[in-house]
This record gives sequence, structure tokens and C-alpha cells, in this order.
Amino acid sequence: MISFTSFPIQPDDIHNGWRAHHPDIAEDTLMDLDDEQELFEAGGSKLTYPGESLTSSQSYMRGHGTYVDNEEVIASVAGTVERVNKLVTVRAIRTRYNPEVGDLVVGRITEVQPRRWKVDANSRQDAVLMLSSVNLPGGVQRRKLESDELQMRTFFEEGDLLVAEVQAFFSDGAMSLHTRSLKYGKLRNGQLVSIPPILVRRLKSHFIALPCGVDLILGLNGYIWVSKHVKESDQEGEEGFDTEAVYSNQNDEIDESTRLAISRVTNIIRVLASRFVPLSDTLLLEAYEWTVDQEGGVKDLLQEDVGDALVATVTARL
Amino acid sequence: MQSLSKAEKSYIQVGLLSSPPSRSDGRSLLDYRSVALETGVAPLANGSARVNIGRNANQAGGGTEVVAASKLEVESIDDDGGVEGGRIVCTVSCSPSAYPHLSSGALDDIQQDMTTILHQTLAHPSLHPNNLSILPRKKSWLLNLDVLVLADAGNVYDALFIAARAALWDTKVPRTRSVEYKARKTTGTKPGGTGDMDVDEETPSGFDTRQIQNATDFELPDYWDEGEVLDGREKWPVCVTLNLVPPVHYLDATGQEEAATPLRLLLMFTFPPNGPADVQAMRMLGPGELKITQLKDLIVTGEKYAHDLYHSLNVKLKEEDVRRNQKARDRFEQHR
Repeated sequence: MISFTSFPIQPDDIHNGWRAHHPDIAEDTLMDLDDEQELFEAGGSKLTYPGESLTSSQSYMRGHGTYVDNEEVIASVAGTVERVNKLVTVRAIRTRYNPEVGDLVVGRITEVQPRRWKVDANSRQDAVLMLSSVNLPGGVQRRKLESDELQMRTFFEEGDLLVAEVQAFFSDGAMSLHTRSLKYGKLRNGQLVSIPPILVRRLKSHFIALPCGVDLILGLNGYIWVSKHVKESDQEGEEGFDTEAVYSNQNDEIDESTRLAISRVTNIIRVLASRFVPLSDTLLLEAYEWTVDQEGGVKDLLQEDVGDALVATVTARL
Repeated sequence: MQSLSKAEKSYIQVGLLSSPPSRSDGRSLLDYRSVALETGVAPLANGSARVNIGRNANQAGGGTEVVAASKLEVESIDDDGGVEGGRIVCTVSCSPSAYPHLSSGALDDIQQDMTTILHQTLAHPSLHPNNLSILPRKKSWLLNLDVLVLADAGNVYDALFIAARAALWDTKVPRTRSVEYKARKTTGTKPGGTGDMDVDEETPSGFDTRQIQNATDFELPDYWDEGEVLDGREKWPVCVTLNLVPPVHYLDATGQEEAATPLRLLLMFTFPPNGPADVQAMRMLGPGELKITQLKDLIVTGEKYAHDLYHSLNVKLKEEDVRRNQKARDRFEQHR
């Protein structure tokens, strides 16, 4: 029921009796390896550490994630080095979501303001969803009325989750969202799991239907919605568009096996994220089949050895 | 507490109430996430511990993380508010990164709530250790127990009490020896023999009241270990949080589950070495209601969970003691 474990042992080199070299010597050997050619040829595979000197500032320009000190370009974050012509940038491993127009995101309403909602989308600032960029009940092409402004909470209220697309940016860098498609809107029948945004790749479609009766929405901001599968026919149709269906807070009936499948998929995503494996639809499917084959319970996945085995098999197969 | 949409709340509640009950990560109602525990994390404290519930296996992040440390301080009984026999002051502070969505005012409120619960439970006279006094009516130890919440992923109260218990278990009280000033009895031979300091070499007897009265100050004898353990360390309570979604209850809620639970019942139990368990404190959190008959049943079942928690925690604490002794010995070997 309850089990205690230990923290992993920190390598405490302060008390390790001896070192191979004097620290200065060790640094010198590293310097030799840090040849410019090698740095850029390795491409994305090499990770920088903050404060690592990358190259000379006379031949290269500093980009995001770097700064110049003593005529050297130095990484300010841990991440991968990228270079476009003379511009050197470091893409951080752990960072907030950097939005781009057209990205699909999952967000949560934090505030209702006059004619707009504020949405937490794991970015540096809250995103904005204007009342004019949502589908209003009673026809897609309907103009917004004053009465709509007064009942904005009937559409979205604080805490509600929604899936939307990045439409544009404001002058201060905040993103503006829109839900003007039948695919977008309020989320229900499932649960949210959040992972580092860097682990969500850009895919052809971010709406994934797994054959186990589970739908996934991979938000590029690292928020992932795992829910019960909805049939295409129920989802589509201009006539079927009404307030009750789109802005409903009521969950459908969800049976036991679907719940288990949702939990299993959620745990798989957590396991993969904790081992820093980027997600894709094929990977998730492989992982799901593997866990079902193992005949373990859903909660077994959270054990360390099971998680390691899962990641080892799945990444080996791809 | 994080905000959830109505659909998410109902998804969690319906899952808990269905039969068999299902939770978002597939645990059963009475399962804990794995709890990582380490003692002796702060070298300058008299006792310290770090606890993480639901830690992500490969990353440092994830889970509810709490660090507790106790520090002993000398107090004069007359002027700086010291009390005969010593006293215990508990403080909880929350890192702003544990509650990023809260304003600083709300954060202060949360800290205040946690401090009150922890202090009122642990500083209760029934749990007071006997070896916190130094000189009767003159000096005593003040035990400051500071607990820091570094991350909250649900079930923070259980984590607080586990960390507090582990830190107090780990606490060593330095040995002291009383010092008194005596007029020298020699006459004439030495000039100026009026009030030299003299260390009291005799072991004080409990019946000899003169010696105790004469002692004016104390010193720390040079000793090979850090002192003796805090008296009555078996007695420090453990807390179980029963999350109530009537008619069921469950343990170790995640942050999302907590947001969907109307009522939480905190029960703190002590398990004296010989004798039955005692309810040391009890709190209800949240807007829900509970009937007194239901409460009685919950206390009985809660005691069972607390007993399990207490035993596994004790086993782990003893393991930690062994591990640290081993580590100290290895280090000694290396330096020799």
C-alpha cells in the first residue's frame, strides 16, 4: 500500500579521494574537444551547459539562448546548438512554450474579461481568446451580439479546458487564439496530462484516435488531452452545432474499460516524458500494445523497472 | 489548489464512485504513490529530512517535495521567553514555485494554515521531549523545526508530517555539562584567589540540590558524536489524509484529485511503544459536510492506515540510520 524508497545517490566528488587530473588540466583537455567544427557538425546531438563557450563572437552572431562575453559566444541555457548561416542559437531543453501561428494548443481559461478570455497555454504570457474568434451557437456565420457579451460564461468559464489554434500575435508577444472550427472548442470526457513542450513534435494531425477507444489531442504547448473516443459522425455536421453539444460541461457515460484505457495511455505518456522520449502516434500505439501484452495493471507502469522496460522496447522497435 | 473544469471534476468523481473504483493513474483507493525519504540532508541542522511523494523516476521534478530541518538554540528562561524544560516552535514556509498561480497574500495564508496545524500538533505538551532542558530555571533548548514545501503535487499534509517526524527522529541534542563559580578555599598563599572559573567534574546527583542551584552556566564537552537523540522520538505523530467523496474515501490524492474532492479529513495519530494509538489531532478541510457517526467510523479506519504508514516509516528511518552510519565509516576510512 505504502512503500518508501530512497533518493538516487548523488555522486559527491568532493569527498572522492582522488581525481585523474588537476581540475585545470581536465578543463584544458575539454577545450581541445571544443573545436568549432566539431561543435556544429554534431548538430542537434550535443547539449550545451549554461556558461559553455560556443564560438568566437567575431565570426558568429549571437542568437537566442546565448550571450557575448570577452568576445566569445556563450550559451546561457542547457540545450541544443542550432546555426543558420552566421547566427548561433541554443534551443533550451526545458522552457515555456514558444508559440507559432497555426499551432494547435490545449489551454485552460484563467480569466473572463470584456469580450475576451485569458487562457493559460503554458506560454510566458496568458493567451487571449477573443469573443469574435469563437463559434457562437446558432450558425457558424452569425455575428456576435451584445447579449453574447453578457453571457460569456455560458461559453467558457474559469477552469474550462479548450483546444484552439494560434491565430496571431499581439504587439507584446502574447498569442491570440481562435476556435473557429468544429474540431476546436471545449474539452470533456477525459483528463489532462502535461509534459515538456519540446517532447511534442509537429505532426500531420494532432488529433489522434487510438484503436483502444481513446482520443488524444497533442497540444504543441505540452498539454495533452486524453479522452473517450467520439465517433466522426457525432462530431461533424453543421446542423448538429448547438450550444448544448459544444459548450456542454456534462460528460458522456464512460465505461470501465475506456476509463482503464485512458488511465493507461496517460501513464504511458508520463513514463515516456519522464525518460525524455518525444511522442508520436506510432510510438504511443506500440507502447500501448506492449503494456497490454505484459498483462500488468495500469499502476504497474509507474514502477521504475516496468517503465524502463517499456521505453527500451518501444524505442528499439522504431 | 489548481482550478479544474466542471467536466474534469465530474470525470474524477464518477471514476471514484464507480465500481470497481478507478483513479486517473490507475491506483486503487488506498494506494500511495511511492515515497522517497532521506535524512541528514542539511549538514548544519541538528536533524533534517527530505521527502518526496510521487517522484518522477528519472527526473528530479514531479511529486510533492518537502524538506524539514530542526535547529536547537539556547534560551535564557527569564528574559528571552524561554520556558522551563524547553519548547518547540514549528514553522512551515512554501516556496512560491510550489504554488505559481497564487498571489503572495494567498501564499502567506497557506503557510499560516500549515504552520498552525503542524505547530499545534507537535508542540502539544503530551509529546514534549524530556531532554530539552540545560540548567533548571536558567537555560533551556529552543527547538526550531522549519519545514519548507518545495513543490505541491497533492497530499502535502501527509508529506509535512512524514518530513517533520523524520527530522525530529534524526535530531541530536548536544550533551552539556554544568559549570559553576566557586570561591577558592585557599588562604593567603596565592594572591587574588577570589573567583576563578572551575569546571564541575563531579557527576551531579539528583538528590544533591545544592550543586544544581550553584550551576550558573554550561559548556559543551568535546564528544565523538553529535549528542543524544531527542527523548520520546517514537511518539512523534503521523498524519493520514482521508479524501472524502461520500460514500467512499481515498488516500494520497494528486493535485487534480484534491481539487475535485469536497472534503478532506486530516487525522494525526501517535503510537506509544506500549499502549493503544492516540488521536493527536484532527482537522477537516473543504466545504463538505460530515455526520458525527461517519466521523467515528473514519477515525477507526484511519487508525489502520496510519498504523501501516507508521510502521513502514519506522523501517525506513532505521534503514536511513544504518545507511548514514555506514557512510560516515566509509568517509572515515578514506580520510585516515
